[in-house]
Amino acid sequence: MPHLAIDHLTKIYERGKVLALDDVSFSVDKGEFLVLIGLSGSGKSTLLRCINRLIEPTSGRVFLDGTELTALPQRELRRWRRKIGMIFQQFNLVKRSTVLANVLAGRLGYVPTARTLLGRFPREDLERARRALERVGLLEKMFVRADQLSGGQQQRVGIARALMQEPELLLADEPVSALDPATSHSILKYLEQMNRQDGVTVLCALHFLSLARRYGTRIIALKGGRIVFEGSPSEIDDAKFKEIYGEEAEQVEVR
Amino acid sequence: MERKQSRSRSAEQPPIPLTARVLSFFLDWSIWGYIAYGTVYLLNHYWYVAYIDWYGRLTLPWWGWPVVVIATFELALLSHSFGHSLGMRAMGLMPAAEGLDRPALRKRRLRHFLASHISIMPLGIGVWASPSEPWHERLSGLRLVRLPQREEWITPPPRWYRTEWGIMTLAILGLTVTLGWHVTGIHLRVLIAGAARPARLWQGLTHPDFTFLIYSDPWLNDSIVGALIESIFMALLATIFGAGIAFVLSFFGARNIMAGSLPGLIVYGLTRGVFNIFRSIESILWALIFAVWVGWGPFAGTLALFIHTIAALGKLYSEQTEHIDPGPLEAIAATGGSRIEVIRYGVVPQIVPPFLAFTLYRWDINVRMATVVALVGGGGIGRLFFYYKDQLDWAKVGAIIVAIGLVVWLLDYISGRVREKIV
Amino acid sequence: MNWIASLAPRFAAAGRRLSIPLADLLVLAYLWAIGTCFTSFILYGEEAYLLVPWWVMALAVVEGAALWESFGVSLGMRLFGRWLSREDDSSPSLGQRLGYWLSWHLSLPLFPLSFLDHEGQTVAERLTGTVLREPPADAPRGRWYRTSSGWAILLILFLTSGAAFGITKVNLSALIKGAPKTAKFWRSLASPDTSILTLGLKLLLETFFMAMMATVFAVVIAGPVSFLAARNLMRGPLARPVYFVVRAISSLTRSVDAIIWAIIFAVWVGMGSFCGALALWIHSIADLIKLYSEQLESIDPGPLEAVAAAGASRLEVIRYGIIPQIINPYLSFTLYRWDINVRMATVIGVVGGGGIGWRLAAHLRSWQFPEASMLTILVVALVWAIDYVSARLRAKLA
Repeated sequence: MPHLAIDHLTKIYERGKVLALDDVSFSVDKGEFLVLIGLSGSGKSTLLRCINRLIEPTSGRVFLDGTELTALPQRELRRWRRKIGMIFQQFNLVKRSTVLANVLAGRLGYVPTARTLLGRFPREDLERARRALERVGLLEKMFVRADQLSGGQQQRVGIARALMQEPELLLADEPVSALDPATSHSILKYLEQMNRQDGVTVLCALHFLSLARRYGTRIIALKGGRIVFEGSPSEIDDAKFKEIYGEEAEQVEVR
Repeated sequence: MERKQSRSRSAEQPPIPLTARVLSFFLDWSIWGYIAYGTVYLLNHYWYVAYIDWYGRLTLPWWGWPVVVIATFELALLSHSFGHSLGMRAMGLMPAAEGLDRPALRKRRLRHFLASHISIMPLGIGVWASPSEPWHERLSGLRLVRLPQREEWITPPPRWYRTEWGIMTLAILGLTVTLGWHVTGIHLRVLIAGAARPARLWQGLTHPDFTFLIYSDPWLNDSIVGALIESIFMALLATIFGAGIAFVLSFFGARNIMAGSLPGLIVYGLTRGVFNIFRSIESILWALIFAVWVGWGPFAGTLALFIHTIAALGKLYSEQTEHIDPGPLEAIAATGGSRIEVIRYGVVPQIVPPFLAFTLYRWDINVRMATVVALVGGGGIGRLFFYYKDQLDWAKVGAIIVAIGLVVWLLDYISGRVREKIV
Repeated sequence: MNWIASLAPRFAAAGRRLSIPLADLLVLAYLWAIGTCFTSFILYGEEAYLLVPWWVMALAVVEGAALWESFGVSLGMRLFGRWLSREDDSSPSLGQRLGYWLSWHLSLPLFPLSFLDHEGQTVAERLTGTVLREPPADAPRGRWYRTSSGWAILLILFLTSGAAFGITKVNLSALIKGAPKTAKFWRSLASPDTSILTLGLKLLLETFFMAMMATVFAVVIAGPVSFLAARNLMRGPLARPVYFVVRAISSLTRSVDAIIWAIIFAVWVGMGSFCGALALWIHSIADLIKLYSEQLESIDPGPLEAVAAAGASRLEVIRYGIIPQIINPYLSFTLYRWDINVRMATVIGVVGGGGIGWRLAAHLRSWQFPEASMLTILVVALVWAIDYVSARLRAKLA
């Protein structure tokens, strides 16, 4: 049984009648580092958000460990969401809150609502937050407001927040496209580390093929909401590249 | 005190300025004074303990005042010695308590309290004599330090509502609300029981009478629409001319333009002072003054709005001018531009959009104010409003309220949209 | 389903077509009315809005708009960024313009026809082979004083301020002649009557508490209600109507000045500071709802998504996604409103709202200027102090 299975997933946005995902099916095994590539607007973000149902798909099903996520009621869904970590292109931190508060938000799915509303997280969660921040090298910045950090640091906070969930699956929505090349690698290395050491399955949307080749164990390319390529990184040649990115595209190397 | 021991990575700190020390103490003293006043007021409210004369003045026996002064002083000293007081927090200070166990700390605090009597009581001699480390701190070893920055924290500080200053803040807020409840004479019973009293008022307000919407009321020789137009134009005239004058004056009230010479600074201070004083007096009071000056009518109201507009816009404009980017000014001065040219080509282009936005915002306020200045003889829709109100003709009053509400809302909406476009 | 979606751009295009003549008609009608008012004020010394029969005016306005739009770039066209050109972006010939003017009269009654066209072209455009479209980027742009719209705006401004002088009965001679009457007032400003200082302080305290109570209790109501007035949070068939109702009530309440509220409450609970506090309270609630909900509408939706993705419940999303983003702006707006309330409290007494305003107005009305000046000084001191404190605290919160 695959870890994650996507079955004929389709998403049509009501406003503007845009077909964002068109009958997408694939499956992911445990421990894979799957990279989604494609132009902006090709449906990568929509696909990732349909998996944890931040966006409700129009039709199709999503299975995680054999459980159909798309059929779960809201309450059940929240229980499953804590197994799925997510990091975002714009980091999505609460800018006015401290780094610690942002990281602790990753535990919201575990701690009962009555406790979290009072802001009382268990002591072990504070310890866990400390460890997560230590892992991404930001222990020093624990009490700093998130808007005081640089872009790369903010994304590391995002990773720490995902680590707090102790996820089995990590969805990364273009985690490095707002960052410069050097920082990009440091962020993706954290993802690779989670993938190798903790055995977290990673689904990562990326913009640049070079990064996809470097980190992915498998690549899926989307174009206009359809899968146009599925295979190992080495299989993408120039013809395939042109097909995915269009005729005028040039390969850009990100070192 | 494991928690406090390593709360922050303390670095070398510059000495705390004298003003911060003095202000923090006086803040604590006045807070205790306020609490004393509030307590006596409330005590008196329930049990008649002190004599309050006809004017509502609290009268104490001759020995009462010194007792109050000394008692609040002692309380301020106590809160300064035995915790993190609100005054210290407001000035960004805190008592250092590193590496101390509880009994040792308590001993130091007691010593701090006692030493303060020698150091602060006699006209603060111990503070003036050695500002960087006053006598009581030297004697007790309990120092005041700056609050650590967030970057320096190791463990989070206690939550604000569990600190001494937080509790004090809550207490003051609670006292203020309780005191305010009695001072403003809030009686919920009256509010509920009286709800039926203005039955005719509700009847009238919910059944507005639009007879004189367009046709003039023969008694007043004015209609609702006519009076509304009058009000709108009062606001318009006041805004246009007020903005024009405020624009010119605002440069005299901008520090960055006037700085550089002593006369400049004096003009700056004067302009700002006049702005602030004139702004503090509401348009209605201005209308009262102008009603004496030019007689009742829309002109008095216009003048009132005009004066208040100059002051309010003048302040907003000046502040905006102070926040401009100095780069272009430098560039123009470097090409040999005169002072006037620097303003014309360096300052004006930067400030026009925000000035327009402020002016539109002020125009909104003026329209709303124009509806009420009539109360004291300003003319406009308010004249009709107060006339019908005095006649107890609530149906017509209701019609006017509806008309005012709609017009003000419409103009507010339009100016909001325009402001969005400008900024 | 598809054809419904395709209607939306048609409606937009046709709506823009319709807005242009409507704007021009409105502008010209206003110009005519205000011009009449201005002239009658100059000629007869009194205000009048109609000097010629109404149909003459209506005809002139309609023809004026037609001519303006056919032979020039009208204000409406400028506002909506459209101008008249041929299909190939060149300027229409005189004959075409003449034809456009004649057929312009048809296009208003036949306006619904333009919905049939996917670009929303009107009958006049069809008949003359012209099109109203966005001017090309390299179109010559004259300076504002060389365009007819620029002159129209100038004329509007000039006539409006001219008429305003008439309507508001500006009387400069009264301003000059009346000045000696206030001499006593200015003189007494320098010699305030200090015997009412303590009474003034007591009244000042009352004023301060009025503002305080109004603000505190307004926050209690406006804080929660503001969530119902935020467009981005109130989606869905049930929530949207609630949003509209809350918004409408609060903006109408806000546009009625607190002083008018005080009059209503004076009948209700009797005169005194309770009445003043209630009036300020109602007005503050409405104002704070507006300020708060605008803040809510501008929050960053990213963190909400992130918190929801971690498995947070709806309440937790509010607590960890929204509240940290709004708490400081809310406090800052509250301080701002507190500042305004103190100002308003100083005058609400004029209509029986208690506090220092009552006394001050009474003294001013009866020309007891030394007493009035004492109280004025106190008012200025209080407002100044609160203004300073509020500004300092707000700067800290930013």
